[in-house]
Amino acid sequence: MSEPKVIMVSSDEERFKVDQVVAEKSVTIKNMIRDLNPDGLTEDFEVPVSTIRANVLSKVLEWCEHHKTTVFPDEDDEDAKKTAPIEEWDRTFFRVDQEMLYEIILAANFLNITPLRDSGCKIVAEMIRGKSPEELRKVFNITNDFTAEEEAAIRRENEWAEDR
Amino acid sequence: MPHPQRTVNETWDFVKPGLDCILGANNDVGITAIMYMSCYTAIYNHCTDKIQGNSYMGGKAGARNLGTDVNNNSYILPGAELYNKLNQYLVKFLEELPRDSYHSLLEFYVRKWTRYTIGARYLNNVFEYMNKNWVNKERSDGRREVYDVNTLCLIKWKEEMFKPNEEALINELMDLIEKQRNNEIVDTSLISAAVKSLVFLGIDPQDLKKTNLMVYVRSFEQKFLEQTKIYYQNESNQFLAKNNVIDYMIKCETRLSEEISRSNNYLEDHTKKHLSDALHKVLIEDHSQEIYNEFIQLIERNETVHIQRMYKLLVKVPRGLEPLADSLENYIKDQADQRLKQLKADSESGADELIKRGGANTVDTKVYVHTLIDIYNKYREVVSNAFNNDVKFIKALDNACRHYVNKNVIASPNPKVACKSPEILARYADIFLKKSSKDLDILDMNADNLMIVFKYLNDKDLFESFYRRQLAIRLITDTSKSEELEASLLQRLKDENSSEYTAKMSKMFSDMKASEDLRVGLRDAGAVKDFNPLILAQSMWPFNHNPDYDLTVAPILQDQFNQVVEKYGTKHNGRQLTWLWNHGRAELRANVTKKNSKYPYFTFFVTNTQLMILMAFNEKNSYTFKELHEIVGTPSKIFEAQLQPFISYKLFEQVPEGEENLNKEDTKFTIVEDYKSKRQKVSFISAVKITGTKQEEDDTAKEVDEARRNFLSACIVRIMKSRKTIQHSDLINEVLPQTANRFQAKVIDVKKVIDHLIEKLYIERIENNSYRYLS
Repeated sequence: MSEPKVIMVSSDEERFKVDQVVAEKSVTIKNMIRDLNPDGLTEDFEVPVSTIRANVLSKVLEWCEHHKTTVFPDEDDEDAKKTAPIEEWDRTFFRVDQEMLYEIILAANFLNITPLRDSGCKIVAEMIRGKSPEELRKVFNITNDFTAEEEAAIRRENEWAEDR
Repeated sequence: MPHPQRTVNETWDFVKPGLDCILGANNDVGITAIMYMSCYTAIYNHCTDKIQGNSYMGGKAGARNLGTDVNNNSYILPGAELYNKLNQYLVKFLEELPRDSYHSLLEFYVRKWTRYTIGARYLNNVFEYMNKNWVNKERSDGRREVYDVNTLCLIKWKEEMFKPNEEALINELMDLIEKQRNNEIVDTSLISAAVKSLVFLGIDPQDLKKTNLMVYVRSFEQKFLEQTKIYYQNESNQFLAKNNVIDYMIKCETRLSEEISRSNNYLEDHTKKHLSDALHKVLIEDHSQEIYNEFIQLIERNETVHIQRMYKLLVKVPRGLEPLADSLENYIKDQADQRLKQLKADSESGADELIKRGGANTVDTKVYVHTLIDIYNKYREVVSNAFNNDVKFIKALDNACRHYVNKNVIASPNPKVACKSPEILARYADIFLKKSSKDLDILDMNADNLMIVFKYLNDKDLFESFYRRQLAIRLITDTSKSEELEASLLQRLKDENSSEYTAKMSKMFSDMKASEDLRVGLRDAGAVKDFNPLILAQSMWPFNHNPDYDLTVAPILQDQFNQVVEKYGTKHNGRQLTWLWNHGRAELRANVTKKNSKYPYFTFFVTNTQLMILMAFNEKNSYTFKELHEIVGTPSKIFEAQLQPFISYKLFEQVPEGEENLNKEDTKFTIVEDYKSKRQKVSFISAVKITGTKQEEDDTAKEVDEARRNFLSACIVRIMKSRKTIQHSDLINEVLPQTANRFQAKVIDVKKVIDHLIEKLYIERIENNSYRYLS
């Protein structure tokens, strides 16, 4: 008999059958599997993930599959997490439109897949780094709703942070 | 990710049925994957929803808050409301836990606890998002009364379940433990689960990862130890009132091993040491006197197993063994005393032929030494079998042996006279080292035995002196059984004591070797084949030149003697040789028979003086006393004694006859022409009346005394040289231990030597009862 699989069901009812080790990249899923099957899986186990759409879940599982044997730095080691560069594979993985990028990050947050969430956030950070407010408004499609006075006040308050 | 917006109450109402399932309310129906996931999702939604509502960092709203909203009330932060709801829910849940259908509070407590802690772990996972994003932040902001959900569950249990029931619960627990001690069958899993729960409830609000034993120690351990003491105090008193000590010791063993296995079952390591201390105190220490009292009886009946039992119990108690070791020491002394007294009585009454063999009223050497060893072996075995070779008991045995070897009715009947053991032991060695001893008689006499007794001798220098004297005789008369045996025993004495101790004896062996070389040299130079001169270093050998035995060497032998002196003189220029005429002997072939006699010739064994007397008769057959005395030249007293055997054995005819005429100048001695004897070999040596055995004993004593004084002098000078000045008492304390492996120095002896050294200006007395070294 082959090993029991985990079946992830997306909000739009699509079913993804994956190995347990892949599903358990998500700490949320891992805890749930352990809680509800204290003696280990004996048959396929269905997990409803009603907050994530199929196209996003598929991307997330692709990442989990690729990283199923990767050892990530310790969760508590903030410095190691921050300084670790984005993997080339992850960079390619995140070549998606902005909405998909955000949804992957949110899904990672929900499923508690810290390395995936961190990787996504670093991509976003790179998009912000070194840009002027005007450029950022353009990139993230934000309308400037400050009045001239308000803007001047904010600049004054944040003068200390200006590059000089 | 779209999700329905909900208020806290809506969210709570949504998740509550799931939580009920997780904690096992409503007949414990369990939770489905869908419910589990929807609870997690709802909590996730609640927390993320509020993040977006309250502190959305993008755009105008967030930016406006930056400068103004410093008064951020954490109560309205996402999570807080949910946390409070959960808190209230847990309190209510625990209050309403149904108590029916359980026999006892303890059973109820344990069953519910087991289920509750499983649920708590689930809850923790379901609330994981709140834990990570709200609880962690609150705690890092310093709010130590906020806990992750699992810990919150435990704390609520402690407050709502444990605290109100604590006293009744612990009492039930104690009752159960007592029942188990009374050998009733109890459910030990109840005990271990309840005890384990107390460990889990030891939560440190400052550091949740660190468990402590606060609850366990305060609520359980103290009472447990108290109860244990009382229980076993009662039991041991009652048991001892009805049973004997041996049964009590067996009972203790059983109880101790029971308690150990019990403590492995449900006690924390923290308690184990306290528990065993308490048990050892009430079971062993409090009854140690009763146990000690049994010891003598056990050893008298040789009950090694029970003695061992006693040892193994008392070893657990601080200072528990000392009284036992003291008892053993005194017992061995008593036993030795009795046996040696008996031995003396037996030999005096002559009841035992064997014992009597040593002579009238003296205990046979072998029997005496073997009795000493027998006592040692008997208790050595006890120490090894029952006392596990514990150093305390080895020391007790050593002390006892040292006592009885040096002080007993046989060796030291008079305390003022030096103990005879060293002398007897030296004699013992001589018996089994002598060629003449029959193998059967010395079968069980050996160096191993000798070394056992030697170790305990106080006056080892006395032994050396006696041993050396007998060794000297064995060497010069060639009566040693085996050179190898001699060498190995010497080596053992050296190893046991020091090379300094055996220096003289080693020198004696090398003298023998050098003499052998010399003899070979002489023979090559054409000397008489059987001439065997020995060159013995003065002061190493226990011999002194005795002028009473001086003699004139017969002219015919003169060359031989001169050759020795010459040969030795060329090798060692300047050394002076003195002849020890009183030692050594000669063998002669005597033609004093007529034809047709039974033997064609006789072989005579004679002393050196006798040799010179007989040599004179090669010249003529008859001399007056005066003539003969002048030829031989030995002082008259010894001369007469040496002459006497020839008369008694009828080799010489004396005219006029009679002992009183022997030393008259004109008395005439004529050698017989036809000597008659039953044997062909005749010895005239043993018939010589020797005066002076007493003298030798005195010599030994004198020699030993002098050696002791020299040893002490050397010791003191050595100490003074390094210390320059020293207080009297310190000096004494340093000197005494240094003499221990030779003899037992008395303070008065040390004082005498100090006075002597002051006289000789080696040291001087200075103020403050001290001495100074004068270089």
